[in-house]
Amino acid sequence: MKNLLPPPTKDPDADRPYLAGHPAPAGPKSFHRSIDEDGVCWLTFDAPTAGVNLWNEGTLREFVWHIEQIEIDHHIRALVIRSAKERVFIAGADLHAVRSLITPRLHQLIWLGQAAFDRLARLPMPKVAIIHGACAGGGFEMALACDWRIASDDGSTRIGLPETQLGILPGWGGCVRLPRLIGLRRALDVILGGKLFPAKKAFKKGLVTHLAPRESMETLARDLTKRSRPQAQVHLDNFPGLSRAVASFARQAVLKKTRGLYPAPLRAIDVAARALHLATEEGLALERHAILDLAASPEAAHLIDLFFKRETANKQRPPEGVALPIRDAVVVGAGVMGSGIAQLIATRGIRTLMTDISTDALSSGLSRIRSLTVEAADKRVLTPKQARQTLDRVSVTHQRVPLTHHPLIIEAATEDLSTKKRIFADLAARSAPDTILATNTSALSVAEIAEGIPHPERVIGLHFFNPVHQMPLVEVVVLPQTSKDVIATAITFVQSLGKTPVVVRDHPGFVVNRILVPYLLEAVRLHTQGVGTKEIDAAMLDFGMPMGPLRLLDEIGLDVAQHVAETLTEAFPDRLSKIDTLNSMIQAGALGRKNGKGFYQYENGQPSEEWHSSENAQPGASLPSREAIQHRLAALLSEEAQRCLDDGVAATGSDIDLAMVLGTGYPPFRGGPLAHAEASGH
Amino acid sequence: MNPLYIVDAIRTPFTKAGSTLASLDAVDLGRAAVTALLTRTGIDPGVIDETIFGCVGQPAHAQNIARVIALRSGVPDSKPAMTVHRNCASGLEAITTAHQRICADQGQVFLVGGTESMSNMPFYFQKPAVEKFTALARSKSLPQKAHAVASFRAADFSPVIGLELGLTDPVAEMNMGRTAELLAREFSISREAQDAFALRSHLRAAQNAGVLAEEIAPVYPTEGEPVLTDNGIRADATVERLAQLRPIFDRRYGSVTAGNSSQITDGAVALLVCSEKALALHGWEPLGKLTHYAATGCEPERMGLGPVRAMDAVLQRAKLRLDDIDLFEINEAFAAQVLAVLKCLQDESAARRAGLESPLGELDPARLNVAGGAIALGHPVGASGARLVLTALRQMKSCGHKRSLISLCVGGGQGVAAILET
Repeated sequence: MKNLLPPPTKDPDADRPYLAGHPAPAGPKSFHRSIDEDGVCWLTFDAPTAGVNLWNEGTLREFVWHIEQIEIDHHIRALVIRSAKERVFIAGADLHAVRSLITPRLHQLIWLGQAAFDRLARLPMPKVAIIHGACAGGGFEMALACDWRIASDDGSTRIGLPETQLGILPGWGGCVRLPRLIGLRRALDVILGGKLFPAKKAFKKGLVTHLAPRESMETLARDLTKRSRPQAQVHLDNFPGLSRAVASFARQAVLKKTRGLYPAPLRAIDVAARALHLATEEGLALERHAILDLAASPEAAHLIDLFFKRETANKQRPPEGVALPIRDAVVVGAGVMGSGIAQLIATRGIRTLMTDISTDALSSGLSRIRSLTVEAADKRVLTPKQARQTLDRVSVTHQRVPLTHHPLIIEAATEDLSTKKRIFADLAARSAPDTILATNTSALSVAEIAEGIPHPERVIGLHFFNPVHQMPLVEVVVLPQTSKDVIATAITFVQSLGKTPVVVRDHPGFVVNRILVPYLLEAVRLHTQGVGTKEIDAAMLDFGMPMGPLRLLDEIGLDVAQHVAETLTEAFPDRLSKIDTLNSMIQAGALGRKNGKGFYQYENGQPSEEWHSSENAQPGASLPSREAIQHRLAALLSEEAQRCLDDGVAATGSDIDLAMVLGTGYPPFRGGPLAHAEASGH
Repeated sequence: MNPLYIVDAIRTPFTKAGSTLASLDAVDLGRAAVTALLTRTGIDPGVIDETIFGCVGQPAHAQNIARVIALRSGVPDSKPAMTVHRNCASGLEAITTAHQRICADQGQVFLVGGTESMSNMPFYFQKPAVEKFTALARSKSLPQKAHAVASFRAADFSPVIGLELGLTDPVAEMNMGRTAELLAREFSISREAQDAFALRSHLRAAQNAGVLAEEIAPVYPTEGEPVLTDNGIRADATVERLAQLRPIFDRRYGSVTAGNSSQITDGAVALLVCSEKALALHGWEPLGKLTHYAATGCEPERMGLGPVRAMDAVLQRAKLRLDDIDLFEINEAFAAQVLAVLKCLQDESAARRAGLESPLGELDPARLNVAGGAIALGHPVGASGARLVLTALRQMKSCGHKRSLISLCVGGGQGVAAILET
């Protein structure tokens, strides 16, 4: 394999024979190059067939060819790189290539990108990147090779290095150049966080040198080409002793967060810290080897696959039916779920009417909406103006008002079948015949709730998860009679909320609760047999779950969990049996975190001591090891996921995996319960 | 005259200034009333041709407050909005303006009303203080600045109270309370008669709490409990207690007290009104209709007599007599002022003093302000005119009456009256 690699290089000119002399690339052109009277070369990226600009072998080679032309053209005194796309600068590397290329081809692609941007960096003239729209990964690494980066202050501009989120690292100079530019500590924040920052934040973090309105960017670029190139700044944290300390801190933080389950961030820290004290080429070589190692790992494969699945679910237009735009919506019920859904909807520009029969419930629901919105503004998720507009969009009523001009009603009342049936009949009576009637039930049968209402083709389930503003998944529960237009509208609506829709059938527990409940019940059973609360939770934290099963039960609320578990034990009596532990805990007044007592005891919302200790612990009985617990619980998740797929609750295994990762925090690096079963040979 | 149809109407609770709704400004109150109205009716806000609101003390941050209320309540930005001002009749002016728009073929469906947050009337700086602030802002060098700062005196920081300013007539140079005192003196209206009238207002309002509740939509302030009802009504009011209050406008010889004057109150009213054509088009069931209205002038010093000429004018236009009216709503700015109006309607010499050729007759007190008035409910100045329409319509509905007359006196020396039918 080694001899397939391009020759290692020290002398920058050694690159030239390999790349130089390429003929102008054939086929459709992705770049347009022009030179103005001032000697400024404008290189415009405009991928001809795609809606976005991506780096792949073709675009990289064409880019290199242009750089070569610029090198030999003595009329050119400066270079400005921009995109012709409306909302994208360069979205990064083509991940399909990263995921599917065999190692030697991948190595070539990595090397090609590194060489291209290195050559750009070495061009002896001022270079400016004009960034408007998405500028991610390889797109930003290209910009890093320029002297100035101007970001447009438009909302579509998003800048960052998301690679570590995909199990790889920035491999085209990002790990080498960014620490030199902004200091190791800040660079690691960007690389390890993997976030895409809005323009203003990117400017504050030093990722770009200027902020400008879109219309003024080119004038500014022209001015910049006349200035002397910026001096490199001295960063204290880049000196050998400090950089080691910064790296060590970062490593500890990552280990604490990931329990060492994710190799990519650790490798990125290593490369970034070491490359600081190496020549650029040596740093790039480190980066290259690291990304090849990581790209071959199952973690990266799972993470990239999940990324694709999520992108598809988030963006794909429904295959059939016509989606209607939703500008007004009604949420019935002002409880935690109802107010959470109403707040989310209102943040997305939809006027929302929240109804409840009690003015006190409306009052506390409104308080929740206000505090969620204020919180979002404090965290800069919403601007103060957006926060005010969000609250302006919410209105409430406790009366039985006509709902005929609202295209969508989401019922989020108490999880009780007769209540929901009554509400549905009432809603059907005072809405238009084509108003979509959705229920947010988490375990009840949507068909039963909507039984007998006229125009059943407008009934659908929209299962949001708690807390609504944080959980990215919505299960779209489809009945056989649900019309294609209603399904299409629901999917598009969920997408427009920034959530990921997964279409499921009206089957007990749908996907997420169905798979989760046997796992949770088994954890309770283990506990009943004498295994300590913390021991069980630790086993699953080691597996990569964000929270152990017993702690999760406390979060859900034992009464709520018991209610869902009952539905499922009734549906699958052969597999699931009731456990009295939950009932007896509820009777003892333990409802979970909400009242401070559950499997743990809570102080200020934080678990302290185990509250519920097992009574049945038999002294001397051999308890399963942590590995055995982990294996047993993980296997339960995978088995139930398989049954769910066999029953056709979701269309594909990939939907189930996606739902579990987004709905329960199932470790993304394992790809989901089905991918995990496949990988571990079950 | 083609009538104006009132499809639906709602108001916020009317609460004493500085109490439960004090945290809401006039925009918030207007928005609360408008969103409640839109929710109740279930109409698509896109059918509204224009929003017209009355507000006397428009907040500095919401000039043309009607536009701010409309946009923040979800009325499409393609629909225009304007604010009207006829002091205490502004809320009614919004309704009559909508009628004039329809007559001029400038729209069919209007969102109208009035809003006032007396809690949030601004404080101003005295003119000399403003000049000193300007000088400070303009000074550049440190010595200049020091000089500008040194020019301030303690008196510069004593504010001009906007509410007091608003309730003082700049032409007559009289506070509204003093105009009421003048009427009490000139028409010999005793303190006892005023207090008895005030008591009646409170008791009537308390007895009619059920009907009044139908006018109200709850308001949910950011902090605290939902506000569900008016809070100015004193069911336990007595003549003795009212008699204990001291006159506030003329402390030595006066008879007008806080107890026999309207309360200073926060509140807003919103109505959906339309033409006959729109009513048929949308198939709406109206609450009632406005058939006639008139605005007249009088001396600003005796602004409280405004209703006398206005009622005369509107009855002449409608070719009706006092006896043809089932219900009267005369805004209770001051007990003395309402009692003076009643005197001018029936007493020959009083009528002439008020500018009538002959008296209109006796107004049956049983038909006047049957659910109390501004003395009990409060007088959020920009909203009261619209509130009278809402109250009259609800009362007619609950008592099965056919026709009502509403009227207000207006600071600056005006009267406005209107006739409503079911």
